[in-house]
Amino acid sequence: MKLALELILLLPLLASLCHALLGRVLPRRLVETLACGAIWGSFVATLAAAAIYNGPVTIELGSWLTAFTFTAPLTLYLDPLSLSLCLMITLVCGLIHLYAVGYMQGDPGYCRFFMLLNLFVGAMLLLVLAENLVLLYLGWEGVGFCSYALIGFWYQKPENATAGRKAFIVTRIGDVGLALAIVLCFQYFDTVSITRINQMGSAVPLGLITGLGLLMLLAAMGKSAQVPLMVWLPDAMAGPTPVSAQIHAATMVTAGVYLLMRLFPLIGLSAMVTAAIAVTGGLTALYGATCALVQRDIKRILAYSTISQIGYMMLGVGAGALTASTFHLIEHAFFKALLFLGAGCVITALHHEQDVFRMGGLRRTLPTTFYCFLAGAVCLAGLPLTGGFFSKDSILAAVWQQGGTLYGGLYALALFTALLTALYTFRMVFLVFGGNSALPGPGSPDRSPSPLPPVMQWPLVPLALLGLGGGLLNLPAYLGQGLLTQFLAPLDDGGHGIALATELGLQGVAAVVALLGLALAWSRYGAARRGQRLIEAGQPATGLTAFLLAGWQVDGLYRLLVVRPYVWLAGLLWQQVDEGLIDDTLDRVALLLGRCGRGLGSWSCGRVSVYLLSLGSGAALCIGWFAWVAL
Amino acid sequence: MIVPLTHVLLLAAVLFCLGLGCVLAWRTNVIMLLIGIEIMLNAAMLAFVGGSCHWGRADGQVFALLIIAMTSAEVSLALAMVVYLHRRRKTVNVDDFHQLREP
Repeated sequence: MKLALELILLLPLLASLCHALLGRVLPRRLVETLACGAIWGSFVATLAAAAIYNGPVTIELGSWLTAFTFTAPLTLYLDPLSLSLCLMITLVCGLIHLYAVGYMQGDPGYCRFFMLLNLFVGAMLLLVLAENLVLLYLGWEGVGFCSYALIGFWYQKPENATAGRKAFIVTRIGDVGLALAIVLCFQYFDTVSITRINQMGSAVPLGLITGLGLLMLLAAMGKSAQVPLMVWLPDAMAGPTPVSAQIHAATMVTAGVYLLMRLFPLIGLSAMVTAAIAVTGGLTALYGATCALVQRDIKRILAYSTISQIGYMMLGVGAGALTASTFHLIEHAFFKALLFLGAGCVITALHHEQDVFRMGGLRRTLPTTFYCFLAGAVCLAGLPLTGGFFSKDSILAAVWQQGGTLYGGLYALALFTALLTALYTFRMVFLVFGGNSALPGPGSPDRSPSPLPPVMQWPLVPLALLGLGGGLLNLPAYLGQGLLTQFLAPLDDGGHGIALATELGLQGVAAVVALLGLALAWSRYGAARRGQRLIEAGQPATGLTAFLLAGWQVDGLYRLLVVRPYVWLAGLLWQQVDEGLIDDTLDRVALLLGRCGRGLGSWSCGRVSVYLLSLGSGAALCIGWFAWVAL
Repeated sequence: MIVPLTHVLLLAAVLFCLGLGCVLAWRTNVIMLLIGIEIMLNAAMLAFVGGSCHWGRADGQVFALLIIAMTSAEVSLALAMVVYLHRRRKTVNVDDFHQLREP
């Protein structure tokens, strides 16, 4: 078991180190093989760990930080939650790495790319497997750094570099919350071990738990792009598409949800924290869905849909349904990776065209991509009997089961969001793949799709199968016991005992809502109406559309509230205080002293008479002074 | 002693001031500068001798003898330097000799 865990973690990290040190001298094919092989090796090691798994294990690899009573050893913890996430991460990232080999062909920076991509996976695995909060924080920051470096991968374009910086700075706000929470934990529990902290919840005042929970929620908001710290994720599309897929599906944005699930035995004790988590999730789900309704850039649509889906997971955590959240997290990883990789295929085939209104007819020219993308879309929209349907429904059912005004309202909100989800998903599908052919672009006369390398096509197929069949992982109780429910049973105490009639009713409502969304999308974007929308899209956006297109103007709001005062203050401190006050004072003093020196220097002019006169007057002064004192 | 010490000291002071005035004012000739210095030294000697006479002790007079010896040595050296300088620069103006100042 120890060897398996070591291999899971060390393979990506060692591969990354190898790329960093030797990547330039190794042949390109070898670097690519090494990068993919490390992740797949890690996947095999995870499978081996799963095969011999029989109960939670804690394995200490070595000592790390020790000072007085503070110890943070390199300890890994494998329990159902971390094991299932590790399986998902290594599998999805392995497929993304294969795809990246095709996507990055011809890019000269492949060494740096695969180095960062492997490090990204390694950091995420460290985060998931960490037994103490400090080690988790190491993985947390590693993930943050890699996302920064990869979003700004093509750093020569200033907007890409800015997007990377934005992601880094915004998530940093959340990281402060986590750092504070870790310090507080050590102060009150005298340990940073997650397993021990989770057992000590009843021994401390509720106020402390609430504070800790809110700080953790802040951290999760930053990392998982929840309202109000969600502004970095849509801009993170500046990176290469495999990076977007990895950030959205497996390695980055799920970290916040994972943190909350990991510490749920502690923070779940405070009703206020769970309510805050649920409200954050519900609002974020709605926010992402509304913004995705009007976006034009295919990757931005997917980014907003990720925000929305992560909102669902948070809502599930807030409702205490950890199994449902984990289920949706894993399922979402499958279909979101699929959608992003499919979008990457579309974008590459169309010579880097990202505007959905200038695509079309691709169902004939890119059939493999089309069917896989369609599979991802039905999962995202939650059409009945897909994996996405079951996972989303289990969250909805858990929220419904909580009852009360708050959770009732959140249920209605989530249901409305599900309608919007189906609507924007099929709007995208109809616009990208429907119609006859792409509009001739003004800049590029040759608009026929270019052929795609097969290595970019076939990773979509297993993801599509996993996404569609993901429901088998956790079937509802009336269809046989869910695999994941059994596996995660020690983790979860909510979501049981729901009546069959209620469950079927809720699933029926969810199915009707999803189909309604599909019908709405068809009535607006299907067949002949599509051409009309294309003409409408030529006009600049107005009113509500413009508001949603700009993401509820949150960027503008932050620019007004935070960025502009900050820039103003920085300008004031720079030009007025630093240059004006401090530098000027020093300059003046130096000038004065220089002048004094020059004045005194001209005294020693070399003329003997001046020296004699000075001597005489000095002597006269001394004598005068002594005479004055004596008399 | 019939001359009171005060008068001797006053005379010495007047002499000293005259010598100083000569040094400061007469800058066109190095020899006049040397003469001014001699006068100031003589004023000092006068004060020493007056003091020695007043308190009836010999050390003031010894000091005066010492100054006489030193002055003669100084003048012989200084005059030699004046001759040398005059040969080099064709001038005896005090203010023309300022090569030793800071650049």
